[in-house]
This record gives sequence, C-alpha cells and structure tokens, in this order.
Amino acid sequence: MTLQTPFAFTATAFQRTPKRPMDEAKFEAFYRKTAGRLWSYIFRMTGNAATADDLMQKTFFRFLRSNPTIADEDHLRHYVFKTATNLVFDHFREVKRHRELAPDVEPNAPATMEMRHDMMRVFAELKPQERALLWLAHVEGSSHEEIADAIGVKARSVRVMLFRARKRLAGLMTRRGLAPETRHV
Amino acid sequence: MSDFDPMEAEVDAWMQQFARIEVRHRPLPDANTLWIKAKLMQSTAAMERASLPITRVQIAAYVVVAGSWAALLTWKWNALSAWFNSFSPARIVLAGAGASASAATSLSLTFFMMLIALASVTVMLAFHTILAEE
Repeated sequence: MTLQTPFAFTATAFQRTPKRPMDEAKFEAFYRKTAGRLWSYIFRMTGNAATADDLMQKTFFRFLRSNPTIADEDHLRHYVFKTATNLVFDHFREVKRHRELAPDVEPNAPATMEMRHDMMRVFAELKPQERALLWLAHVEGSSHEEIADAIGVKARSVRVMLFRARKRLAGLMTRRGLAPETRHV
Repeated sequence: MSDFDPMEAEVDAWMQQFARIEVRHRPLPDANTLWIKAKLMQSTAAMERASLPITRVQIAAYVVVAGSWAALLTWKWNALSAWFNSFSPARIVLAGAGASASAATSLSLTFFMMLIALASVTVMLAFHTILAEE
C-alpha cells in the first residue's frame, strides 16, 4: 500500500499549464471577446474610425506574430491592449497633430447626437496618455501595474497621473456642463 | 476610514456612460480573414528572412564582378586601347602590308582567359538575377 503525500493534490493543482500555440479556433474565440472592446478603446483614443480599424488590425497582426500561447487569457488581453496603446502613441507621433483630430462620431439618433458629440469632444481634449490612463483604469479595470506596463511608466507614478487625469476630466466636464449630476438636472 | 473619492466616482460614472456609447457602425473585420492575413504576412517575413543570406551573397557577387572588371581594364588599359585601335582601317592596311602587330601580341593568352572567365561569371550572375526575380 502506498501512502498519499499530503501535498499530492497541491502539486497537481500548481503544475504549470502546458503552453500550446494558439490555433485558429482559439484565436477566433479570443478575437470575439476582445476585438470590440479593443476597437472602442482605440477609437476613443484616436477619434477616428478608419484609424481605429487600421490600428486594431495591426495590433492583432503583432499579437499573432508573437506566437501567443493559450495559457493565460488575461495576460493575452493585457498584451493586446499594451500593443494597441503603443501603436496609438506611435500614430500620434507620426501625425503630430493629435490635438486637432476631430471625433468621428456618426450618431444613429439625433436625440443623443449632441451628448455623444460633447463627450467625444471632452475626451479628445485630454492628452493621449490621460485618455489611455482613464480608459484602462475605468473601463478596462486594469491594475496600476498593468497600466504602467501599457503606457511605459513606473507603477508608482500611475496613481498620481491618474489623479491628475481625473481632475482634468472633471474640470472639463464641469466647464462643459457634462458632469453626471449637471446633465441629469 | 472610507476611500470614497467623489471626483473619482464622478469620473467613473462619466467614463462608464462614455464607454457605453455605441460608436461602431460597421462590423469588425472577420477573425478568419485576420488570421489568414497574419499567416500570409508571417510566411512572407519568413521567406524574406530565409532569402536574406542569398541576397547578401548576390550583392557581394555584383561588387566582386564589377571590381574585377574595373581592375582588369585598368591593369591592361593601354594594351587594350592599342589593340582596339589596331582594328582601324589604316592599321589593318598596314598589317596587311606586313607591319608587326605589337599591340595584339602584348595581350597575353592569360589575359584573354581571364576576360572569358569574367564574362562567363557576369553572364551567369545576370541569368541568376533574372531567374531569381521570375
């Protein structure tokens, strides 16, 4: 009779997940989960639908070129957002006129048109880094470490940068009368 | 002590509302199309990487052949120009009359062999370039 070691279960549970390269079906599943959110992020950053299409495709090309494994989906999602952030910043450096980019919103309903346009305009007034910080923190729910990695700053700087970005956005919201309590009055 | 920050809450509410706005009015590219495009790009990049040493050797061959032609022509330029001049009608008449053809004799058989070898290498290189491009 053999005795089971008390750590047998633990050892099995913590065994490293074998890393297999991503196949087409897995990519499709990952793409379906991620692409919409990624596109929204890039669009909010650039304010241009065609640029968002282009940069999203480039992001996924880079992602596939990196031979992704399917071990950790959160890690992959973070990698994709980090790549997209880098591409967006590269795009801004390339065009050198990111502040002039007008939001490319084509609303469906005229009733919401003005509000959408105003929100896009307010967000476009922020610096690209502030936009990335706010979106990743508030929409994607990324941690300070993940944000730091994505935008290429130190993790301990993120808290301060985020505070400043929030303050700036709050100021813009108030000035434009777009603060939540103002809008619903 | 509560960590509640009214500004953070306000910004968070605004961001959530902002994120909910539907701004995409056309479907996203198909995942399969992206996969195929990415694979094509990867194979093209792999092919370029694989052919890089060949391209480098080819460039080195162009340089060597061009250098050899330049060296050969510089080395024997005087003899060659004299040899070319020997084909002028006046020289041909003189040669026919029995005058010695010193220019022609100054070009050795080795030189002609080198000339033929270099010409062959040039032709081979040209064919290789044309066929590789095709």
